[in-house]
Amino acid sequence: MLIDFILLFLFAGVPYYLVFEKIPVMRKDKIFPLAALLVIAGMVISYQFPHETSMPFVMVAFLASLFSLHKANQTNNLCKLTYYILFFNAPLLIMFKTKESILYGVSLIVALMGVYLMGKYYARSYGSPNYQSVSGITLVTPYAGLILTVYFTALALYPPFPNALLFLNGILKSEISILWYLIVIVIFFGNFLIAVRVMAKTVFGKPNDNVHYIDISPTERVLHLLIIAALLLLSVIGLQEVLS
Amino acid sequence: MEKLVLLIPFLPIVIATMIGFLNKKEHMPKVAIFFSSMVALLALYGTYYVMSTDQDIDGFGGYLIYNELSAILVPYVAILGLVIRKYSTKYMWDEPGYKRFFVLLNFIFSAIYLLVMSNNLIILTIAWQLMSISLYLLISFNVESKSAIKNGGWTMLVHKLADLFFIIAVILTYKTFGSFELTELSQKWLALFQSGPVDDAMIYLIGFLFLFAAMMKSAIMPFHLWLPYTSEAPTPVSALMHAGVVNVGGILLNKMAFLLLLTPAVLNVAFVMGLITAVFASILMLAVSDIKRSLGYSTVGQMGYMIMEVGLGAFSLAIYHLMVHGIFKASLFLESGSLIHQARKEPNVPRRLSHEIFWEEKPQYNSINMFRMIAFFAVFPVIVFTGVKFLLGEDLFHFNAATLIIAFAWLTGTQLFLSFFEVSKANSPKVILALISSFIVVLFTYEFVGLALEHFLYGKNGELFYEVATLHVSGTMTILMLIAIMLVGWYFTYRQHFVGVPLGEHKPNKSKWRIYKMLAKEGYISDLYVKYFKIF
Repeated sequence: MLIDFILLFLFAGVPYYLVFEKIPVMRKDKIFPLAALLVIAGMVISYQFPHETSMPFVMVAFLASLFSLHKANQTNNLCKLTYYILFFNAPLLIMFKTKESILYGVSLIVALMGVYLMGKYYARSYGSPNYQSVSGITLVTPYAGLILTVYFTALALYPPFPNALLFLNGILKSEISILWYLIVIVIFFGNFLIAVRVMAKTVFGKPNDNVHYIDISPTERVLHLLIIAALLLLSVIGLQEVLS
Repeated sequence: MEKLVLLIPFLPIVIATMIGFLNKKEHMPKVAIFFSSMVALLALYGTYYVMSTDQDIDGFGGYLIYNELSAILVPYVAILGLVIRKYSTKYMWDEPGYKRFFVLLNFIFSAIYLLVMSNNLIILTIAWQLMSISLYLLISFNVESKSAIKNGGWTMLVHKLADLFFIIAVILTYKTFGSFELTELSQKWLALFQSGPVDDAMIYLIGFLFLFAAMMKSAIMPFHLWLPYTSEAPTPVSALMHAGVVNVGGILLNKMAFLLLLTPAVLNVAFVMGLITAVFASILMLAVSDIKRSLGYSTVGQMGYMIMEVGLGAFSLAIYHLMVHGIFKASLFLESGSLIHQARKEPNVPRRLSHEIFWEEKPQYNSINMFRMIAFFAVFPVIVFTGVKFLLGEDLFHFNAATLIIAFAWLTGTQLFLSFFEVSKANSPKVILALISSFIVVLFTYEFVGLALEHFLYGKNGELFYEVATLHVSGTMTILMLIAIMLVGWYFTYRQHFVGVPLGEHKPNKSKWRIYKMLAKEGYISDLYVKYFKIF
């Protein structure tokens, strides 16, 4: 029971970001690194203390995730979006078996890390991580467009990226129930809707004449290349897992 | 040596990677075309191997297979891909994102090959979803167009729903039958069918999930809207979409054919949904004012026929239909480019060979004479059809379901002639002769090729599907329906084209006008989407 409580909190089953958003305890762009660290801590604990997750906790996480979905659909800020998506996926991290949960959690954090860095790049190049007015980057900043397309394709749960494969692996190996159907359907579509919304607004669209577009620097490209390589490596692991 | 054929799904990814590293624009299509030719040759070799040795080629731990279905479809897709790439070389030259286009094109071909050649449900799931995302990126290729992006989003939503249905079906299949391997599953399903009637709700649920997933990807009503509204994509993408992507529903149902043996109700629903789609999409095709959308509805109608064929147990015929329709529709789309090119040179509408042969200006119409001729060639095909049936024997027509399809196929042919040559002006015997010939050609090719395909794909098991399809139609019933459909169709055609309508004094009937308005507005479904579902 205590483990369940701890994991509910660590796996982002409780939307504690609300506190950090309301009270200026820390900068808002630090919420994602904190949440990611807590999720990693949760993975370690869940690995060390194997246990059966009770459904009420999954239910609580699911309700909180619906709230995060709502928040994700309200924001145009890439940095905020990262932790909303992380919190949105929390029910899966709690519902999946330990190994599947860890693998899915890692792939999610890696993809979100990429988006977070892109948010930082937006803040540096355009003044804020807000993507609303920075439209049509595919045409004017092709590298940034390509990288963001990769991250959001992964987050929208499309193969060959690991999120889709490990999501499939997780749902395949968990017990089917009504709550399972509910969570799988909502998270499957929720991730997709969030990703397509962002892609439609910034990756696609007509370039804004009032914005001076700057493509990502060669150093940043290397960093993103490493993240994409990590995603592809996780894809191989995911494929092995799901076929095993 | 033959195992090399199994590399086909990965070769387009290699081509895409190579194109990614190229800087000179003119080298990109050359690389794409050269290596795609290699893929086509490899596919043809694989087909030759399967046909000559009567053995499947399998590998990668049994995950991929080059079997009879692949032997037919892979060369078709490869040659289609080659033509589309060649066409795109010049057509896309001035478009921004030339490299992106060729990369994405190769990704979608990789997904299609993987889908056709997969022998494992997990690989099939991956290919199924890969196709969705590749399609989205291609539909949204014109990134500056708001409507292209919006319609791309809607397309994706339907495809995502198809993905979800598919994934759940795969999971339930695994939980019920304990395997992902399609060859093993097919054997299990066949053995289960032969052991007696099956009354397991879970198997029916799986069947329905696969059917609905196929219906969504094949734009069957009510999941059809994505296809007519994505015509803003570049012409090569439209050609690929109408000739290749929408066909995956039929391919999936063929892969699951032995599962559907256990679920007659699923086949019946497929037939009914296919019929509704075929009829309504054909009506909408004639009613909508946008020519591209009209073409989209034409494809939706053809997909309806394809699903109908599956519903009647004619699985092999569905494969034949999707290939023939694909070639026809791709040629239509790709020809549009050259027509535009000609139109720029000629002040009038460019004339094609068919136009030169059939067109004949006739200022005066002899409606009574015309009506006789119509009556003649409404009845004549039926006489030919029954004559052939009696002369060649029953066994040639053992798939009775096909006869109904032939009627539809012929009606589509005549509809095409009517739209192209406007019978009111080109009412010469030449057109009538062409219509009758089209019927005979369709009849024979469908029967002969359909039968040959059935023997090749399913062997003796092919007949089992007709036994299961409980909406089996008898020969007499088919002929009666055929006559009824043709007479009603021709009556309306006659009314439309040959009965003089006094212009100016004529007031349209209100109820008819309302029906027409509703059809022209596509049943207000698209308006409903735009108004109430503002997701994208």
